[in-house]
Amino acid sequence: MGTIRVRFIVVALVVSFFAVGMAAFLNYFKYKSTIGGIVKSRVLVIGRNIENSVQASLQVGMQFMELGTMNALLSRERASDRLIRGIDVFDHTGQIIYSTDRARVGEKVPVEWTEAAARSKTTEWGQEGSDEFVAGISLKNNFDLTVGYLALRYGAEEVDRAAKIAGREILLASIMSFIGIALVAPLALIVVIRRFERDLRALESAASHLEDRTEPALPTGSAFDSAIGNLRSSLRDANVSLDDLRAKLDSVPP
Amino acid sequence: MLEKNYLWRIYWRLAGVIMVCVVIALAAVSYFSHRVFDRELVPETEQKAATVGASVRALVLKATSYGIDFANLYGVEQTFAEVFEENPEFAYMAITNTDGNVLFARGTEPIGARTHFRNPVVLQIAHETGEMSKAARVGQQYIVSMPINDDGKPLGVLHVGIDAAFVDHVLLEVLLDVVVVLVVSLFFTLELLNFMAGARLASGLGEFARQVDRMKSGDFTATARMRANDEIGRLLRRIDSAIDHLNVRYEFLVGELQDKMRSAVGERREALKPAAAALEQIGKRFRFGSAAQSADGDEMNLNRIRAPLFAFILAEELTRSYLPTYVNQLLVAIPGISPQVVIGLPIMLFMLIVAIGQPYLGSWSERVGRRKAMLWGAVLATIGFAGTAFAFNLYDLLLWRSMCALGYAMVFVAAQGYVLDRTGQQNRAQGFALFIGAIMVATVCGPSIGGILADNIGFRASFGVSALMALASILAITRLPATEVIVPATKPARGPRMREIMALIVNRRFMTLTGLAAMPAKIILTGVCFYLVPLYIVSIGNTSAMAGRMLMVYAVMMVLIVPLSASLSDATMRRDRYVSIGLIISGLSGLLLLLSDSFLVLFGVVFLLGLGQALSIAAQSALVAEHCQEEIRIYGHDAVYGVYRMLERLGNALGPLIASLLVILWGYQGAFVALSALVLFCGIAFTIATQGTDWQPAPHVTQ
Repeated sequence: MGTIRVRFIVVALVVSFFAVGMAAFLNYFKYKSTIGGIVKSRVLVIGRNIENSVQASLQVGMQFMELGTMNALLSRERASDRLIRGIDVFDHTGQIIYSTDRARVGEKVPVEWTEAAARSKTTEWGQEGSDEFVAGISLKNNFDLTVGYLALRYGAEEVDRAAKIAGREILLASIMSFIGIALVAPLALIVVIRRFERDLRALESAASHLEDRTEPALPTGSAFDSAIGNLRSSLRDANVSLDDLRAKLDSVPP
Repeated sequence: MLEKNYLWRIYWRLAGVIMVCVVIALAAVSYFSHRVFDRELVPETEQKAATVGASVRALVLKATSYGIDFANLYGVEQTFAEVFEENPEFAYMAITNTDGNVLFARGTEPIGARTHFRNPVVLQIAHETGEMSKAARVGQQYIVSMPINDDGKPLGVLHVGIDAAFVDHVLLEVLLDVVVVLVVSLFFTLELLNFMAGARLASGLGEFARQVDRMKSGDFTATARMRANDEIGRLLRRIDSAIDHLNVRYEFLVGELQDKMRSAVGERREALKPAAAALEQIGKRFRFGSAAQSADGDEMNLNRIRAPLFAFILAEELTRSYLPTYVNQLLVAIPGISPQVVIGLPIMLFMLIVAIGQPYLGSWSERVGRRKAMLWGAVLATIGFAGTAFAFNLYDLLLWRSMCALGYAMVFVAAQGYVLDRTGQQNRAQGFALFIGAIMVATVCGPSIGGILADNIGFRASFGVSALMALASILAITRLPATEVIVPATKPARGPRMREIMALIVNRRFMTLTGLAAMPAKIILTGVCFYLVPLYIVSIGNTSAMAGRMLMVYAVMMVLIVPLSASLSDATMRRDRYVSIGLIISGLSGLLLLLSDSFLVLFGVVFLLGLGQALSIAAQSALVAEHCQEEIRIYGHDAVYGVYRMLERLGNALGPLIASLLVILWGYQGAFVALSALVLFCGIAFTIATQGTDWQPAPHVTQ
């Protein structure tokens, strides 16, 4: 196999690897973000229920810091979805006021949570940890002032598990597609570059007979016919001149 | 030029085949991904539907607990509408009684829903207790049904319909990115064909064509060159061999004649005269011996610059679509400066360093060597990209971006110098086509791929990818020839002097070109493409990938139109008209946002801007040589072009600053419109200013 053909095939394989790799990458991350979004929005449905209850309490004049039924409400809502590990309500300093986990009350939430809540342009915010995700809602009173933040902690394993399964299958499909390309592309390329290779062969063949004194080679139909013709005629001219010189030298008696 | 056209025909055929293969592979990956999405996403969405349903059911039960009749509940449909608003994947919601009759419904009812609701299995759900739910495919929807019962007393069933096409919608978004991947793949293919095979092929076929021409003109001097071990290399070796044989034969005959002449006297000497005459004739017609040592493999070495340049520029272009959004995340309040201006600071600083640095780095790279200068630049930029990826806040980000800018300027000028060193009058245009080609391909591929990366792996990791690309460019730079080509006749390049800058800044003719055309073109380019588009697209809830796609439209326009407009403007010699039309089209682009703020209009803005810039960009710099001949005579070519480029690049730096100030005053849309209006004004002013007789095309123009 010619080295030029090998190079073209390598190009095809590199480009195919890039394209298939990028497609797999895009599909995987799209899947991961979609599944993450579905799970998060599922968790936020529960968050909205809590938000509605808090706002109802605030509307009847109760103080945010003194919602007596809050811990019970949080526990009830937490039980409504096995995905949720815990629910915290914290103030703008990050101190937990209510929680499904009593031991957490009074503790500070990670600073990333308050930053994410502050950065968000809507009332919803989120934070991704290594093994735990947080979906949050900024709680507002009647005057649209943020009185606190609701954080629903849920396990990353649901998203990770789904992403792992999908990732494996997308990877498998990509590998199969790439193998398919690796088999088909060289064959297709060979067909396409046949003419080019024929031209090169014609050139090589002509070059191997450059010094033949025979009549000009028959046209091969290659793109280099005229160049080959020029080469041969140039060499022939030079050889004829040198032959003439040889003859003149030989004609001189010793 | 036979070998170039011949090769390009082959490249396009090869690229076509590779693209067909890639499309088939992408279709296969997409098909299997769709199956995975369908299988895995639907159950997750059913669980979400169950959670949403439980929330709605709680509301219903709360109402019935107050004694309201289940069949006469008020506001159920409105609640369903609110659910649809927050969950676009839900297409239908209904509550049926224990007989399966619909009491409340909203959305698109799937075909067969009524029959499904009366199915005994579904009716049985009403009698179930607990949190259970069941899902079934009905028409084009997945229906999730759950019981509504009040302390064991069955009231009815709540049904939530999930649109089966929602998976298609999710994949449609991926499809846009896949199309981007396809376009990028095409450009990668052409670039790789050139890098992995084409450079050697082109130089081999070029050498073959030159050899044929030499022999045709009677030049049979032997060259002592290393030939590649491929088809072309073998061919050239055969030609070398034929020339060597001819030379040996010639040398032998010359030697024999000289020997005979030395020993011959009288008649014999007379008899040798025809042979001597024949030799003299041969000497006149042909040249034998050794060829003068030419710059070894210059064409091959010239082509070698393309890969490192492409990799390096790609590293920077990758960041275009998401840099302002990343800066927005690291924003630190700077007293007295608006956040909008602060977001533009890293871009401004980058452009300023490049603008000021380039004229002086040119002579520096000449002193230290192009390869070494490129290496230093790439190393600096790699550190800069890595630092940007780990930036703590805006302050250190500015430092890292400054390093990137300095590295960019160093690599850019050194690569430019590399091309200049290895080209003469005959092939300089070809050399710069190669140089600009690498940059343009990187401009097409970079922002779109960068946007996709930023959306999926995050801004910091994407800067990490840029650092890796810059690192790859270092490896490619090390493959450049270590020996520099010094052109002895040329004067060392120098940056423009202050007095030259001052004199040219007050020169009316020069400033008409620079102040009304070159600078506004750059201001709108960086202001719109590098600042407004990425920020505006994200501000309207879109992604960095979409910003990347938009910037790709601009780059594709440049790739397609610039060669065409350059040849047309050269042919017609009315370059000023192309500049005028280009500026006016660019100026009209942003005004489209007065009609609507829709996404399609924004696409039109970028499209028109690309078209306008492509029409004017090639003609602009040629106009300097055409109409500033007097200035070039006084200050020199280097000084005039040095000041022109410096002011043009200052326009690059001013773009984000002006755009950010306009955003403060009138918001994003207002900034688009105002910036365009400014360029439109400059375009009209330029058109009027170039109407005079002194702006008629000059008869002989050389740049």
